[in-house]
Amino acid sequence: MAIRAQFEGNNEIGVFAKLTNNYCLVGIGGSENFYSVFEGEIGDTIPVVHASIAGCRVIGRMCVGNRHGLLVPNTTTDQELQHIRNALPDTVKIYRAEEKLSALGNVIACNDYVALVHPDLDRETEDLLVDTLNVEVFRHTVANNVLVGSYAVFSNQGGMVPPKTSVEDLDELSSLLQVPLVAGTVNRGSEVLAAGLVVNDWMAVCGHDTTSTEVSVMESIFKLSDHEPSQIQTQMRDSLVDTLS
Amino acid sequence: MAHVVKHITVVPSYKARTISDFVDIVLSRTQRKTPTVIHKHYKISRIRDFYMRKVKYTQQTFHDKLTLIISEFPIISNLHPFYATLMNVLYNTDHYKLALGGINKARQLIDDCAKDHVKLLKYGDSLYRCKCLKRAALGRMVTILKGQAKNLLYLEEIRQHINRLPTIDPNTRTLLITGFPNVGKSSFINKISRADVEVQPYAFTTKSLYVGHTDYKYLRWQVIDTPGILDHPIEERNSIEMQAVAALIHIRAVVLHIVDISEQCGHTLEEQLALYRNIKPSFSNRPIIIVINKIDVIKPEELPEEKKKVIAEFQAEGEPVLEMSTLTEEGVMAVKIEACERLLTFRVEQKMKTNKVANVANRLHVAVPKKRDDKERPPVVIKKKQAMVIDGESRKLERDIEQEMGDDYILDLRKTWMLQNEDEKYDVIPEIWHGKNVADYIDPGIMESLKALEEEEEARDNAHYYSMDESEEDEETREMRKVARKIREKRTILTIESGEKRRVEKSRMPRPVKRSRSVAQLEKDLDEMGVEIPKNADSHYVRAKSRSSSRPKSRSSSRPPLKRARDQSEGAVTRSKSRPPRDRSGLRDNAMIRKVKKMAKKAQKPRNHQAKKGEGDRVILNMKPKHLFSGKRKAGKTDRR
Repeated sequence: MAIRAQFEGNNEIGVFAKLTNNYCLVGIGGSENFYSVFEGEIGDTIPVVHASIAGCRVIGRMCVGNRHGLLVPNTTTDQELQHIRNALPDTVKIYRAEEKLSALGNVIACNDYVALVHPDLDRETEDLLVDTLNVEVFRHTVANNVLVGSYAVFSNQGGMVPPKTSVEDLDELSSLLQVPLVAGTVNRGSEVLAAGLVVNDWMAVCGHDTTSTEVSVMESIFKLSDHEPSQIQTQMRDSLVDTLS
Repeated sequence: MAHVVKHITVVPSYKARTISDFVDIVLSRTQRKTPTVIHKHYKISRIRDFYMRKVKYTQQTFHDKLTLIISEFPIISNLHPFYATLMNVLYNTDHYKLALGGINKARQLIDDCAKDHVKLLKYGDSLYRCKCLKRAALGRMVTILKGQAKNLLYLEEIRQHINRLPTIDPNTRTLLITGFPNVGKSSFINKISRADVEVQPYAFTTKSLYVGHTDYKYLRWQVIDTPGILDHPIEERNSIEMQAVAALIHIRAVVLHIVDISEQCGHTLEEQLALYRNIKPSFSNRPIIIVINKIDVIKPEELPEEKKKVIAEFQAEGEPVLEMSTLTEEGVMAVKIEACERLLTFRVEQKMKTNKVANVANRLHVAVPKKRDDKERPPVVIKKKQAMVIDGESRKLERDIEQEMGDDYILDLRKTWMLQNEDEKYDVIPEIWHGKNVADYIDPGIMESLKALEEEEEARDNAHYYSMDESEEDEETREMRKVARKIREKRTILTIESGEKRRVEKSRMPRPVKRSRSVAQLEKDLDEMGVEIPKNADSHYVRAKSRSSSRPKSRSSSRPPLKRARDQSEGAVTRSKSRPPRDRSGLRDNAMIRKVKKMAKKAQKPRNHQAKKGEGDRVILNMKPKHLFSGKRKAGKTDRR
């Protein structure tokens, strides 16, 4: 199921939240409306935690994590780290990465098994990723963007990449990540997918501007409802052709 | 329409029905924004500039206002054909163009007029003439505008009409409904669209135009009902209605022709067939669907023979014929779905012919991964049922708490902490302790090490490690300890007592200065210690000689004098020998000195008369005031001033 949400009138909700299969981090905002969207949907299943990193609420862009662990940048204060540590289950490993590209969420995209990283990422961070998140790491770009974490989103079920990705790139990335992929947009045509969308294996939250066509593509590729990803090519094809061209 | 044409500002009319008429606006603006005070004794160039400015400013204001009108009204040839035709139907393109052309011409005339009068103003030789020229210029401008009064009125009407037109997007997916009045067009639109169209009638020529929106397949569909346009045969229409139809055929739509099978609408099936045939040619190249409505009243099978024939003729038209009842809602959705599907396929087919679809090919492609290893990567499965169970009341969300508490709400971060001991949740943790960052000293294994330590201690205790030591002490040692303790106590008491004794309430004075040291003492002491010291005067501990002049000078000492002895003739004041006194420098002998002194005294004499010190003593006690020496003077004025 995919739901729409806004963070204080901002549609780039992926910036303010980090959703994984084991926990969910939400930026500390002026009101609890955004937090309660997550709390109401998944609060009974996994912990939904208020967090800040280096005093900022853009946690979705600062940290990277999956079911097994969480990496935070070295700008995270001791208190923030302690808070996250206390609030997350003990099975989740948390590490502070000494990485020059400190907006880890922008340079790393991952699910529970594979991670796509910025080509210039440190070797140590790569090792840390393998140890903490239990992932295979691939250095790759997405549609010629090095900020893979901003432009690509994938769960264990499927993934989305920016609309400019060519068919060949799609196939290559899909084989690399071992999930079905589709090129798409969120928030009425925004190609910065990770900014407008957070997803795990059974739910997704996207920006308020997202059109119903975009939502339906999302639900199919991430297998959030009964749809299969192949429906994009069959049942939804006409709608897509009509809206896109 | 409003979204196609940008907002148009109000067109002020020429003359005073309202206060804000065109001329008043412009002239009062000139009055407000240009200087208003001028006098005839001003320089003529200044007077000319004053009036030229007024003329130019008025011209510029007129120019701006007219330009605004011209630029804001849509240019018909740039509009979508649907809107172009619609504009033609509604406002008559020729008239519209003439009106805008007239405004343009007026603007040009006003510019020329202002130019001429500014030129004339350059030759104005008095304030009165300049003023007359300005009046003439402004008057002519107003007269020019007066000629456009009708055009302005017409444009204002158009503006108001345009603002009220409904928003129809000619490019989007549209369902267009036709048929005689009362066949159920409006009820159909109400059934399938969210909007209650009855409350949204928009003026469309003399009749109405209803627009509703519906959703199908994640897309937005526009539904247009056009009572008064498409509900009677072509030959009965006047030319304006014909053109309205022409406008509608520019919309890429699916046409739903609704037929009332019960003939309750007052038109027979034959008439309805005729209407359909009438309209059909207008919508060639569009998908058309014939919808038979009101099947709740009578089913097609129950019709008499001749009516069945008409239905058969409808079916023979080559378009799909569907049945529905807007009353029982039977078949309504089927009609909608069929219509949408047909239009969608039609549009997709058309788009496939262009190369636009090739550009989005990647977005229609779902990349399926090829296996690269045998590793399983299963998704996390959450038992949704468990999560979705709603047990009576739903979970109380943070937002609800926030709303309940209002301004008192404070976000509790520790609420979600998962600790082994729940009661430790709200323990105070210092960030900095004794200048050290507490976080640096956090030891995750502290509990284990503490436990290990405790165990070790316990083991020692069990092994009588501590108790054994205690019993080992013999009598002698114990006695010694006792004495030692006594001594320690005594010492403490003594320290305290002495402190008490030495404490003085008043401030302590310094010791009186009493030098007990002397050379003799030193010599004696050193002698006692067996140090031989030379006892001559050169010894460095011998007291230095005083320099006081009272002391008699002993020339007999071995040292030669450092300075030359002073001569008696030199006087008491000591002076360097090389520099003679100033009053004597450069003078040969005493005679000459005397002579010079005499001369100096003589030179001083006139200054002494004036009670001056010397040459430098020059003072002007009062400057003579300028006003007494300047200006015109006539007889007798100088004294009085």
